[in-house]
Amino acid sequence: MMRFQRFPTAPARLVLAWRAAALVAAALIIGVLLALSGRNVFELAELVLKSTIGSRFGLEDLALFMTPLILTGSAVTVTSRIGLWNIGAEGQFYLGAIGAAGVGLYMPGSPLLVLPAMAIVAMLCGVAWIAVPTLARAWAGVNEIITTLLLNFVAGLLTYWLATGPWRDRVTGALASTGRIHVAIPEMWGVVHWGFPVALLIACGLAAIMTWTSWGYEVRISGANPGAARYAGMPMRARIIAVMLLSGALAALAGMFEVAGTVHRLQGGMADNFGYLGIVVAVLARRSCLAVIPAALLMALILDAGIVLQTQQLAATVVLAITGLVLLLIAIGDELAHYRPVAPAIRPATSSSRPEKKVTA
Amino acid sequence: MIALLTGLLSTAVLAGGVLALAALGEVLAERVGVTDLGVEGLMSLGAATAIITVINVPDPWLGLLAAVAVGALGGAVFAFAAVIMRANQVLCGLAITFLGLGLSATIGHSVAGMPAPVTFAPTHVPVLASIPVIGPAFFAQNLLVVPIYLLLPAFFHWLLFHTRHGLNMRAVGENPAAADAAGIPVTAMRFWYVVLGAALAGGAGAYLSLAVIPSWSEGMVSGRGWIAVALVIFAGYRPFNAAGAGLLFGLITAIGFLGQARGWPIAAPVLNMLPYLGTLAFIILPVVLFKRMRRAMAAPAALGTPYYRSIR
Repeated sequence: MMRFQRFPTAPARLVLAWRAAALVAAALIIGVLLALSGRNVFELAELVLKSTIGSRFGLEDLALFMTPLILTGSAVTVTSRIGLWNIGAEGQFYLGAIGAAGVGLYMPGSPLLVLPAMAIVAMLCGVAWIAVPTLARAWAGVNEIITTLLLNFVAGLLTYWLATGPWRDRVTGALASTGRIHVAIPEMWGVVHWGFPVALLIACGLAAIMTWTSWGYEVRISGANPGAARYAGMPMRARIIAVMLLSGALAALAGMFEVAGTVHRLQGGMADNFGYLGIVVAVLARRSCLAVIPAALLMALILDAGIVLQTQQLAATVVLAITGLVLLLIAIGDELAHYRPVAPAIRPATSSSRPEKKVTA
Repeated sequence: MIALLTGLLSTAVLAGGVLALAALGEVLAERVGVTDLGVEGLMSLGAATAIITVINVPDPWLGLLAAVAVGALGGAVFAFAAVIMRANQVLCGLAITFLGLGLSATIGHSVAGMPAPVTFAPTHVPVLASIPVIGPAFFAQNLLVVPIYLLLPAFFHWLLFHTRHGLNMRAVGENPAAADAAGIPVTAMRFWYVVLGAALAGGAGAYLSLAVIPSWSEGMVSGRGWIAVALVIFAGYRPFNAAGAGLLFGLITAIGFLGQARGWPIAAPVLNMLPYLGTLAFIILPVVLFKRMRRAMAAPAALGTPYYRSIR
């Protein structure tokens, strides 16, 4: 009889195979549900394919979705390398948007000056936003999942308050939004702005830092084996603080790109779950900074497909449910990838089941 | 002054019940060693289910029952993935939250904004309701308040700390290998208490949409599930503390409402931040200020780690 045993490591090919199975299973479940609700699944699938990767607009939207996802995905990935979860990318995204919008709205000057200032202020805001959870984690061991998450709601309310209150658009009187920001990240291909290649470069840069620098090595060891890292005299607390602050800055940069590249103003609800979806991206990337890119691509495809589903009288929130289903099945698949068949145990004959005692007289 | 205090406490009791009930459920799941981060989604599902049920059959108890059943079902999906398949608990919890938020908004789309045709109406408990301040707050509200703050915490406290079954539960959360060796069915214990906790989360959703805000709108749970998860830490994984923590945060919410009603010169979104900031302060400050409390209020030792019999 075949036996399966759990191994501490999961080989990449098994992970990929199980994930493919998980995606197929998710597609089947969604297809069956759609068919039950009386829709033509094959027509819908064709439509989705055509309007995502089959058209210029679809591809442009794909790149626009990927840009923030790569950054928030990287933000969650770097903390996961040290064994922590930053569930607060959504809030740091908002703070980045707030910082960028503040500079963009009130700092006159040429884009060459204003855009870098927006990026820097945005990242500082993101760092400030994650500072309290970081210090609480590093010095008091307070669970960072809850603290980072709670601040998301505060950040959402803060954005809403700024956009409807002190910073509201006094010219056109638009609701829940500030005026248009006078500078923008230049566009490079259709509506795709230069933030996209920058995000790709950042992901590659992070991968290089994690792989080839001693700092990255210490971060990885601190995450993989805290006991060994402490014994080797690695400054774990300093690394935890640095990684979490870096994470906040990355998520905030996503917010800045969104403000300066796509939305051109600050408005309530503009983070659009990009922070939370960054967690999904990080999970898909399995803690590899480079794999964030294909993971963000997959997530962007799901979001892009969601736009099509919306035009077919399906609520926008269906996408969130689909994401949840995919995440759940992939979590199961990732665990199953740890199991490998082993040779059946050889049953020794009963008489020699015990090792013979050495007789020492 | 008395009237103000009574009003404040009444609002606090009403609003805090959601958190208290959900936190109570999470205490059960975490005591057996499973972090269920799906509470937010399960509450949302419960809230939507309850409203849809009462719009079709106008009976609040049926709405509550349906929400509890849907919560349990969602909890069973989570427990299948996280306990039986032993997949990462954080991921499964987030997945259930996404699923719950997405599904509830989808099924609730057609009833969004509709007021609930029936709600849990306030009922006076004889004698007790005439106690000043406390009476109107606890005994002249809807009928769910007394079970949430008193009966359920008392029952679960007795179960956890005064029965052999409770000892077994805690053993599963502290040291599943030892519990397994002692003949306690670790997986079954974890599975069923996660399901029960999720059922309570679903019930909390029904309480929200049938008693606190009697209607359905997308995003109406607005982080209450996450606050409930945080309160469990603050409550040191104890049933009565969880109910008390729910009440405390109901009070913070009530102060925010009072500020809006009285026209304090603070913008409404800023006042709405209070419960989140309050939760943050209450899980960070005690740990920083009272180092001795860390041990008494510590999490179950095996919290968040799946149990494999074959690997030590």
